[in-house]
Amino acid sequence: MGTRFARFHPLVSFLFYAGSVMLLILMLHPVFQVISVFLIIGINIIHDRLAGLRKWKYLLLVTFVLMVVLNPLFNERGRHLLFMAGDHRITLEAVLYGGMNAFSIIGIIAVFISYNVIMTPNKVLFLFSKFLPQFAVLLMLTLRFIPLMSRRMEEISLVQKSKGIMVTNGNWRTRVKTAFSYVQALLTYSLEEAIQTADSMKARGYGTGPRTSYEFFRIRSKDSIAIVILTLLLSIIIYGRSLGYGVLTIYPMMEDWRLATWDTAVLICYILYLSFPIYVEAGEAFRWHLSN
Amino acid sequence: MALIELTDVTFTYPDSLQPAITNLSLRIEKGQFVVLFGASGSGKSTLLKLLKNEIRPHGTLTGNIVINGSPIQDSSGLSQEIGFVFQDPENQIVADDVLHELVFGLENIGLTTNEMRNRVAEMVHFFGADDLLRRKSHELSGGKKQQINLASALLMQPNILLLDEPTSQLDPVSTRELLDMLKRLNEEFGMTIVLAEHRLEEVFTLADTIIMMEKGEVLIAGEPRQVLPQIWNSKNRAYVPGIPSLFLKMHEKGLLPLTVKEGRNWIATIKPTFLATETEKQQQQSKNVIKTKGLSFRYEKSREFVLDELDFALNKGEFYALLGGNGSGKSTLIKALAGLVKSEQGKIWIDDKPIKSYKNNDFTKYIGYLPQNPKLFFLQDTVERELHATMEQFGLTDWTETEALLEELGIVHLKTNHPYDLSGGEIQKAALACVLLRKPKVLLLDEPTKGLDPISKKNLANILLSVKSNGVSILMSTHDVEFAAQHATKCGMMFQGKITSEDNPERFFNGNFFYTTMIQRIFRGQAMMPLTLEEAAHSCVSTIS
Repeated sequence: MGTRFARFHPLVSFLFYAGSVMLLILMLHPVFQVISVFLIIGINIIHDRLAGLRKWKYLLLVTFVLMVVLNPLFNERGRHLLFMAGDHRITLEAVLYGGMNAFSIIGIIAVFISYNVIMTPNKVLFLFSKFLPQFAVLLMLTLRFIPLMSRRMEEISLVQKSKGIMVTNGNWRTRVKTAFSYVQALLTYSLEEAIQTADSMKARGYGTGPRTSYEFFRIRSKDSIAIVILTLLLSIIIYGRSLGYGVLTIYPMMEDWRLATWDTAVLICYILYLSFPIYVEAGEAFRWHLSN
Repeated sequence: MALIELTDVTFTYPDSLQPAITNLSLRIEKGQFVVLFGASGSGKSTLLKLLKNEIRPHGTLTGNIVINGSPIQDSSGLSQEIGFVFQDPENQIVADDVLHELVFGLENIGLTTNEMRNRVAEMVHFFGADDLLRRKSHELSGGKKQQINLASALLMQPNILLLDEPTSQLDPVSTRELLDMLKRLNEEFGMTIVLAEHRLEEVFTLADTIIMMEKGEVLIAGEPRQVLPQIWNSKNRAYVPGIPSLFLKMHEKGLLPLTVKEGRNWIATIKPTFLATETEKQQQQSKNVIKTKGLSFRYEKSREFVLDELDFALNKGEFYALLGGNGSGKSTLIKALAGLVKSEQGKIWIDDKPIKSYKNNDFTKYIGYLPQNPKLFFLQDTVERELHATMEQFGLTDWTETEALLEELGIVHLKTNHPYDLSGGEIQKAALACVLLRKPKVLLLDEPTKGLDPISKKNLANILLSVKSNGVSILMSTHDVEFAAQHATKCGMMFQGKITSEDNPERFFNGNFFYTTMIQRIFRGQAMMPLTLEEAAHSCVSTIS
């Protein structure tokens, strides 16, 4: 029951996820990004056998395709012409730029899906309620919203379908308009319902005094080691990044995409960081194997 | 000294001209079970929230609220003293698994883990909820969720329990379970309970005091047996449940029966004789508007069939009430008939044509679907705009006709409001107006009576009957046996994805033991078993009076 990674102190998990999101935003390099997507899929497989990712696959796909396609459509800059669409220049730079941003975004979404499995609201609350009670409420409501909103979206589209309003109807203008009105309805509805959640929290004395936690998340030695490893890796990568490694400059002039020695060193740290949940699990499996 | 004492309390919401609570004075003694009732918008919820400092709504409050001897304004730390359970089972849940949800309040008041373990162990035992502890909260049924909400309020060991329509989203069985729990708490632990409620049949038998509210004021308050005749003789007759209604309608003297047991005893003493009722109307076979054959559906391949080889037919001009427990597939059937979920096997014919042959707009014109949660129905931010959008979509231009429809539904004054600002009954009517605009031939309603007060329910019935008289066929799912018995022309019981029995209400309910009306229960075993109040009063003549 539960993965090894899930049993770490919430601080470890939180550090890992916060760091991952940061890295996905900062390390804009095709090689880094392709590897990171595979690693994150691996993490998702271990944590919930892709159940979460599968639910979001359309969103991920649509976001990815949109970003890859739209950027070259609006952006003609770049020296490497791929082909001409009419009198519109499609450049390698624009495609790459769009693709890198797309990888970055879907990587972040995928990280959040895994985050949602591991960081139960109680862990989040535990982390934040000690010193930031108001922020904890905000964070928790936001986090509970992710799966709740997707369930609500399904309901809304079902009900709207009964009215004859569908995203698959009409020309693209109407479709976009419909989609927007769905999202608006979803937001209004969700905000309305969230007020009640807040009331229910206050009714049970939230924020009245110092809070205790039912499960003692004590920092054990394993947790400290994990924190040290993660922080070390993260600092190396960030330091490397600040020196310009691990990022592909596209504008004004595109660099060679191939990795220099230092790029490779940063990449190794990057892989070690992102695959932390994977080798932790592997280690656990190995130990289990030995003890039996 | 009273435990809760309100003197001249007036409360006005910001930006509102009329106070929500007007000059209200009230005393609630320790250990009492008090039921608040009245139309939605009468101030029940506001009153309950005023009693709990932490969730007191913004607005201006005058007058005094004294709880346990200390004025509420300057009493902090009362959060443990008063427990609160809200209406919607889903929205009050904070944590994603049950155990965390239960301890949420305890953590807030800073108990040590050991104390928490003790309290939780005890409470879980009391509720018999051991197997729920590790479950994800959103997987639970509405009834279980509400039990967990009650349990987490009780873990704070309150002396006073406030409940704001806790059963309005629940089916009859879950409602019964929750009310039984409240009864135990009141009787075994002397807990003071204040409950706002619409469904009065059951709660009146539990209450020591019932308080009827109207427009922020206490209209009538007192012991049920004393107060009910007063309510019966006022314009709010609809609030009196079936059994006392019959008693009062027949101008009986003596102890007012509230429970089925008392009702049966009363019937036994009066030895009713029955007038012969008119012979049953000949059922004419009319055309099917909807027909299904061998309909099967499941949400996921790994799960069981929700609809299992289901055969169903809705005839023209029929008012079909679909009954059955939670999870028996009522909602899914309605969704399938509305073309919202695709069946795995089987066929659906709409007006003798296969469902697939319809184009989207023709289909939505033919079939009107009202979802269980009418909030999701609205995309625009006022009722009026929603109506305009619908008119545009279906090429309607006659606004006077729309206005006439609103008039008929009694919601003209609400058309500039945001749908979410309407009460449960009002938002439903607004959604219904949008559906009726497109003049559907068939109405599919998913639990339209959920959470409605008796007056709104009567309103809804009148609307549906007038729609039906225009030749519209209606299918509704409901838990409300009384409503089905009074208004439906045909009832069906759904069980494990099939319709296991269907008949006209008289024969349908006569065969049932649980799924039947209060009136029928008190007449069970008599020469005749009338179903509704009207029938009973009509056919049964007391020998005494």
